[in-house]
Amino acid sequence: MTGRTPGTPALPVAGRAQIIRAGLDLIRRDRRAFAAMLTLNTLAVGAGLVGPWLLGRIINEVQAGATVSTVDRLTLGVVVAGVAQLFLLRWARWVGHRFGERTLARVRERFVDQALALPVSTVERAGTGDLVVRGTIDVSAIGLALRDAGPDVFIAGIQAPLIVAAVFLLDPLLGACGLTGLVGIWFAVRWYLRRANAAYLEEGAANSTLAEQLSATAAGARTIEALGLEQRQIDASLERVDDGYRTRERTLSLRTVLFPVIDISHVIPVVGVLLIGAVLLNHGMVTLGALVASVLYLRQLSQPLDTILLWVEQLQRSGASFARVEGVSLEPADGIGAADSPSAYPAGDQIQLTDVHYSYDGTREVIRGVDLTVHPGERLAVVGPSGAGKTTLSRLLAGIETPTSGTVTVGGVPIADLPTQVLSRQIVLVTQEHHVFIGTLRDNLLLAAPESTDDELVQALGAVAADWVDQLPDGLDSQLGPGALQLDGPQAQQLSLARVVLADPHTLILDEATALLDPRTARRTERALATVLKGRTVVAIAHRLHTAHDADRVAVMDRGQLRELGSHEELVALNGTYAALWRSWHGERREAPPP
Amino acid sequence: MADPAVDPGIPDIRGPLRYIWWLITSQRRRVLAGSFWGSFWMVGLMAPPYLLSRAIDDGLVPGRFPTLLAWTAALFGVGVLNALLAIMRHRTMTRVRMDAMFRSIRVVTQHATRLGAVLPRRMSSSEILAIGFSDVAQIANVLTITGPGVGAVLAYLVVATLLMSISPMLAVTVLLGVPVLAVLVGPLLKGLRGVETTYRDQQGHLFTRLVDLIEGLRVLGGIGGKEIYAARYHRHSQALRSEGYRVGRVTSWIQALTVGLPALFLAAVIWLAARMAAEGSVSMGELVSIYGYVAVLIVPVSFFIEGGYDLSRGMVAARRVIRFLALRPRSANPAAGLDAPAEPAVLHDPVSGVELSPGRFAVIAAARPQEAAEVVERFGRFVDSSATWGGIPLCDIALAQVRDRILVADNDAALFAGPLRAIVSGRTEHRTDDFARAVDAAMAREIVEGLPNGLDSAITLHGRNLSGGQRQRIRLARALRAEPEVLLAVEPTSAVDANTEALMTAGLRSHRAGRTTLLTSTSPLVLDQADIVYHLVEGRVAVTGTHRELLATDRRYRRLVSREDNDQHDSDPRRTTNHSDTEEVTR
Repeated sequence: MTGRTPGTPALPVAGRAQIIRAGLDLIRRDRRAFAAMLTLNTLAVGAGLVGPWLLGRIINEVQAGATVSTVDRLTLGVVVAGVAQLFLLRWARWVGHRFGERTLARVRERFVDQALALPVSTVERAGTGDLVVRGTIDVSAIGLALRDAGPDVFIAGIQAPLIVAAVFLLDPLLGACGLTGLVGIWFAVRWYLRRANAAYLEEGAANSTLAEQLSATAAGARTIEALGLEQRQIDASLERVDDGYRTRERTLSLRTVLFPVIDISHVIPVVGVLLIGAVLLNHGMVTLGALVASVLYLRQLSQPLDTILLWVEQLQRSGASFARVEGVSLEPADGIGAADSPSAYPAGDQIQLTDVHYSYDGTREVIRGVDLTVHPGERLAVVGPSGAGKTTLSRLLAGIETPTSGTVTVGGVPIADLPTQVLSRQIVLVTQEHHVFIGTLRDNLLLAAPESTDDELVQALGAVAADWVDQLPDGLDSQLGPGALQLDGPQAQQLSLARVVLADPHTLILDEATALLDPRTARRTERALATVLKGRTVVAIAHRLHTAHDADRVAVMDRGQLRELGSHEELVALNGTYAALWRSWHGERREAPPP
Repeated sequence: MADPAVDPGIPDIRGPLRYIWWLITSQRRRVLAGSFWGSFWMVGLMAPPYLLSRAIDDGLVPGRFPTLLAWTAALFGVGVLNALLAIMRHRTMTRVRMDAMFRSIRVVTQHATRLGAVLPRRMSSSEILAIGFSDVAQIANVLTITGPGVGAVLAYLVVATLLMSISPMLAVTVLLGVPVLAVLVGPLLKGLRGVETTYRDQQGHLFTRLVDLIEGLRVLGGIGGKEIYAARYHRHSQALRSEGYRVGRVTSWIQALTVGLPALFLAAVIWLAARMAAEGSVSMGELVSIYGYVAVLIVPVSFFIEGGYDLSRGMVAARRVIRFLALRPRSANPAAGLDAPAEPAVLHDPVSGVELSPGRFAVIAAARPQEAAEVVERFGRFVDSSATWGGIPLCDIALAQVRDRILVADNDAALFAGPLRAIVSGRTEHRTDDFARAVDAAMAREIVEGLPNGLDSAITLHGRNLSGGQRQRIRLARALRAEPEVLLAVEPTSAVDANTEALMTAGLRSHRAGRTTLLTSTSPLVLDQADIVYHLVEGRVAVTGTHRELLATDRRYRRLVSREDNDQHDSDPRRTTNHSDTEEVTR
């Protein structure tokens, strides 16, 4: 949320027009429920307005000397209206609630679909934190609007005009008088809304940072204990609490102006209608009943107006959240255009880089004109000093990044354009990073190849020497994740390698694939992988030169350029950069450099 | 405004109600003021119907304009007065809620720091996030009852008295009828509490799944399975929706009854009153005032219903807060209070056989890194063990003394948001020379220089705006800056390239000169600089010596540090460099 480093490309936020379009779209998708909501609420509000009107009638009848039976008849109407109001309201609320839950489900599912469609590079650059906040906190704020604020304001929005209309119906003059009495509210609300938005945004931000501070304290409790940071954390959270107080005092001061003005404004129409009504009554232009009913209506008007004011700021906040959730859809999705066209399917296994340039920020190039052909079935090692662009090259090969200029293709098709399901059958990048999903072990494997049989899954695990699987009581059905079985680093790494085995790509890009494996199993895994991947292309981002030694060809990268390319022996004989590297790492280990 | 410098006090955690009561009694005067304003306001609300009835009876009906003017003026005056009372009440109650909310946050924060290392194992971070985001606010909402609660009862009595003067029969009807209404909604509220708890739990699970999914986006993007996980999320989302329907079924009744029951009751009272009016025993104005009273009575009644609703929600929230506050720090031996050895002393771990002499720069090399880390856990007293310090059982020594002198630095250590300077300083005061020494030793100088504002640059939570290698160096700088007597560091150079690794180790060694330091690592670049290397096999020290001695004499050790099948490449550095590439991306 806040505190993003300047320059970090955040995910976009939807604009006003887009929010309105998206909102209308949500209504359109459930238009019958929406229409039902509108009708039922209007009926319920209408039933609620019968009371004062009948009371006015009763007063007129009693003044005219009516009998008890006339009164009974009229009051029975009040009771019937009351019963009708109760049931209509319940029904309206029920429909509304279901509409809200359905819409909320739609919003969060749409969000997840869009988040899943984001290219990996976008997710990495924006950070997963932003997505998490949008998917949880912002979706909750939308939920609040759909469950509580929305329906209340919706009803109030029907109620207020109906009440005013009722007074006009009773007597237009009294109606006009009542309406002018409300002018004060308009000014007060305008004054308030101009200031409220910023103030409440600040309050909301203070709330978020306070809650984040608390969860950071909880998550980092061990570190706090180890480093004795208790007081520092408490002080930091006190600062946040101070912010909380300050921002809340600010919004309170705004309300301190608004609320009394509103409350007094509610009295003015009543007083005005009483005085003018007295004059009209004197001239026989209005009945006592109509006058009393008008007064009662105007007193009732304060209720919907207060409801709207109470929620208006929450709705604004939810609107901002909706803009953030919708904003995710503005980011271009992954593999657009290529998914459906059959011609885009790679013809062959050859990977070709042609005059590839790449820059993360548009100014400094980290890859500068690389031409490279990866032959099917070969083992290519990429070596080079830190910052040479090896990782970027692997990301280009894996289709995570699109080159700034030049092309990176497999079988003639740009790799970055391939949809995931096609790409993962072609090229898979194996890195130190791994993620174990909440769910069963089987679920965690099936994502790589949904049609696999249990036997195939077990074989894949066997291929990466994940013998710990045999000790799981529930086998493939074992639940993984928090609260269930927690895999340690090496196990998680083996799991992710097993996924690769299942995905069965023709080319594998290994970037320190075994870095987190414990040294003894790493050897076994490497051996197992070697047999499984026999006949496949392997591009290894090598940090250990013996990997390069064993490779068919070695590519030496330096400052974004491909400096040398050839077999280990050729390059050693060339006596260039690689030869120097080889000598320096393979020769006598240096003494520790001076500090 | 509450003074943040004042201690929040000790919460009563024997039950949710007791906790809420504690929040009330912690700010007695403010709550009393809230009740005062709330009561006046609520009673004040009952005045307009009376004034209106007098305006009709004495002014409108007989056509006496000056009298009407007088009563109308009074009506307006009371309106203004009520507006002022309302805002006083609102201001006081807002501060009551603020106090309750921030007091809860403060006790929770204090407790979190007190719990320390055991906390993440006892409660999930999403639960704690829920406490911070919603629970504290919901508990604070409960305190709203304290304001108009008293006033509601008073208002109720005032109306009863006023009605008594019109008709005792009506008064009794209203007196009995209103509590019945409140009671009728009771069982529904109880039902609501049940379904809401289920809904919240499921919502929490859905959030967890979402976070899981987002954090696994890279995997799904690289290897596939997006469709499967999208479908699974949809399924869970739909289940939550159905649960939401269940909540809606109850809520919609509560909402309808909150409005509908008083309206029906109003109709019944009007019936009685209108008949009396027809018989002439009640005047027109009184009829209107009866309508007005009962209509206004909706306010206190709905306050009670809403209060009950808030209370049932608040109790759920309070239970969660209490459950958190009831967590006890892990200390098997609360009486532990022996003094630590006065001078630097030998740390001995019988389980592994590691014996760490003062002043040594030692490294544990283990085929299973976890086993080396476990030794550190024992020496750092994050687990109870038979380890001793100068012959004294470590778990009998006062924990504060252990924490003060022995520091464990691991790669999971949290980085909190704040300026880089504050992060590295930790609890110590910022002193330029010591600070610079730590930063340089950890090879973190280039990070400082690469950031836009140097040491004053803001680091985001978990150091998200740094690369893995940068985070590791900042963590090491922080640990060095703490200048502990004993530093235990788990794989402190695992995320940096070989060159930096060698420089970091050398910096670490010279910075720690003369003090006890124990690292875990299997990198030859680190091991080579150790005074002594412990080679752990199956969790036990198999052999000790210098790196060179072990290389020369121990075949298993040689295989471990070279990670080779044959011994010919035993000098290859094994560490990665790819993090320095990531740094460029981050900047």
